[in-house]
Amino acid sequence: MRWMMQAVQQPNQQRGNAIEDMVARRVSGEPLQYILGIQPFGPLNLLTRPPVLIPRPETEDWTMRLTKYVTPSLMRPIRLLDLCTGSGCIPLLLCRVWPAGSVKAYGVDIAAEAVQLASENTAICGFSESSDDPPSRSPFVRNTFRPILADIRDPAFLQSSGLHPPFHVVTSNPPYIPRREYELLPPSVKEYEDKRALLGDPDSEGEGGDGLTFYRDIARLIAHQNLLAEDGVLAVEVGKGQARDVERILRDQARLTKTTIWQDPWSVERVVVATR
Amino acid sequence: MLRTALRLRVCLPPPRARTFRWSATPHAQPRADTKDNVAVALEKSPVVQAVQRRLQQRSEMQAKVQPDSNTAEDKQTLQRIHEMEPLRAAWEEWENTRNLLAETTRLLQDPDPTMQALAQEERSELLARLAGLAERTFPALLVPPSATAHLAAMLELKAGVGGSESSLFAAEVLRMYVRLAQAMGWHANIVANNETDNGGVKDAVLEIKGERAYDLLRWESGVHRVQRVPATEFNGRVHTSTVAVLVLPLAEDKGSEVDEELFKMEEVKVEVMRSRGAGGQHVNKTESAVRLTHLPTGITVSMQDERSQHQNRRRAFQVLRARLMDRKLIEDVKNRRDVRRNLVSSADRSEKIRTYNFPQDRVTDHRIGLSLMNVEAVMEGEGLRDFLDELAKKHQDDLLEEAFVAS
Repeated sequence: MRWMMQAVQQPNQQRGNAIEDMVARRVSGEPLQYILGIQPFGPLNLLTRPPVLIPRPETEDWTMRLTKYVTPSLMRPIRLLDLCTGSGCIPLLLCRVWPAGSVKAYGVDIAAEAVQLASENTAICGFSESSDDPPSRSPFVRNTFRPILADIRDPAFLQSSGLHPPFHVVTSNPPYIPRREYELLPPSVKEYEDKRALLGDPDSEGEGGDGLTFYRDIARLIAHQNLLAEDGVLAVEVGKGQARDVERILRDQARLTKTTIWQDPWSVERVVVATR
Repeated sequence: MLRTALRLRVCLPPPRARTFRWSATPHAQPRADTKDNVAVALEKSPVVQAVQRRLQQRSEMQAKVQPDSNTAEDKQTLQRIHEMEPLRAAWEEWENTRNLLAETTRLLQDPDPTMQALAQEERSELLARLAGLAERTFPALLVPPSATAHLAAMLELKAGVGGSESSLFAAEVLRMYVRLAQAMGWHANIVANNETDNGGVKDAVLEIKGERAYDLLRWESGVHRVQRVPATEFNGRVHTSTVAVLVLPLAEDKGSEVDEELFKMEEVKVEVMRSRGAGGQHVNKTESAVRLTHLPTGITVSMQDERSQHQNRRRAFQVLRARLMDRKLIEDVKNRRDVRRNLVSSADRSEKIRTYNFPQDRVTDHRIGLSLMNVEAVMEGEGLRDFLDELAKKHQDDLLEEAFVAS
């Protein structure tokens, strides 16, 4: 409520019955982040808009941790790919925290709304690959991020997206909720956020499914398409209780033999970090 | 009509000399009943004797140290000698003036009445100059400049005894400091504000940045007591409630969570509040509260006012740094000398320092025994300045008193 009051008190906001509208939307169950239209994520303020997945504090936490785990520099710049990028929160936070000119990031999402929102966020944060830069400035003087509309499950994904592997770092917070759990999600999630950003069993219709479809797809891309550089790092967010299974998939199918699991601040195994 | 008159009195404080007040020190002011022994009395005054002792130390240091030495210790000594140069120059002026005075006094006996009159005039001037040196120049040079002048202040307010009336007063105290900051040209920012349903404040954190913000505000630490008929009281009885204020020093935010001089990251336990169930994609509730525990001291800081975990964490670390810095300053004071200062009653911040009595329209500071009429002017910030000025002066007097002893 206080945050809604603050939002209304901001200048250049339409007054009138703004607060009443906000309260009504909140009462009907809409997430606060959509009502306010903005969510802090690390030092960033990102736009939030239905149905694009709202950045979660767990993701904020491990992305901040990744900024210290991998340390690129202007002298040793890296290329990064974020799969299922949504609002673009992960690559944008990395672009902000890592030194200028140390990372060139790309993101892929299947949803046009997500790519649109990620582009707006990129512009707000100042990491667009704008073509009207003075030619004298080399492309690596600042960090950039480009969101791309593509389906990572499409066999021709890399060709159609125009991406050029390998990447030094691949990150992803893919949909990981099993269908069984999806049906039980609270309304503020299920009725407002994109099913395509949540459901980890896009193919199965019945009760089955472990929610790990996208991890198998990512493992296949790494094993057969040379997605990850030889000394590259893969970091994927996982749902509660999935870390060990995802670890196995990455070892067996992606042949990433060294894996670590990171806990989130609530002591849930949240991220699998893997290297060759 | 009466109110207006009283407000005027507070807004325009009575003219008072902004000089060192002798009465504030236990060393009795030398009685200067007649003009003849004024000079002698000044000579014997504690401040002049302190200057003499200080300069004596300086020449001893000078005798020992090699002027072109390069050892760290000698360099430090040379630096100290150099820092005392203004005091030496002032002392030279003092001695010259005193010699002139002696000559002039002889001329008072001159048979020529014109000469006598001239001598009389000159003598008054010289005495005034000596008094100026003893009352203003020497005290200023004896007390080292404040090492905390650049620090911003973080004020923590907590409603105390008195239930909802106490939280209502806490809200007014919070507003008072915001208004004061405006009056002082400082920048105030409410970092955390835990409001109650009736418009009161359970606890709040206010950050105030600006020149000498911490130096002037630090004496606000303590229990502030309000006496009035609460808005919620129907029988017209006067209640007494309290609000606790804690003022902490705030160093510039350098962007990093750790301040190596104060603590190490391993010493801090970071916890997040409440369970999120499965968390991650399953939950989109805003859950951002953070709690830090500094294990060696047991200090805990909770922050929940910001919308993201990251922001709350940053704020919490800021508060932790301020608390630890406060501790360090107190330790420094303790280590330097036995704590005789009554203002920095660092040991006891539960001490009642000020009473805001609404029925009698009067605010009293119990430490300096100062009462000012017109509560409203104080609550509007402007009247509070008079208290801050008096307290700062009291502190300066205490420091000087220490200089007498230390010299």
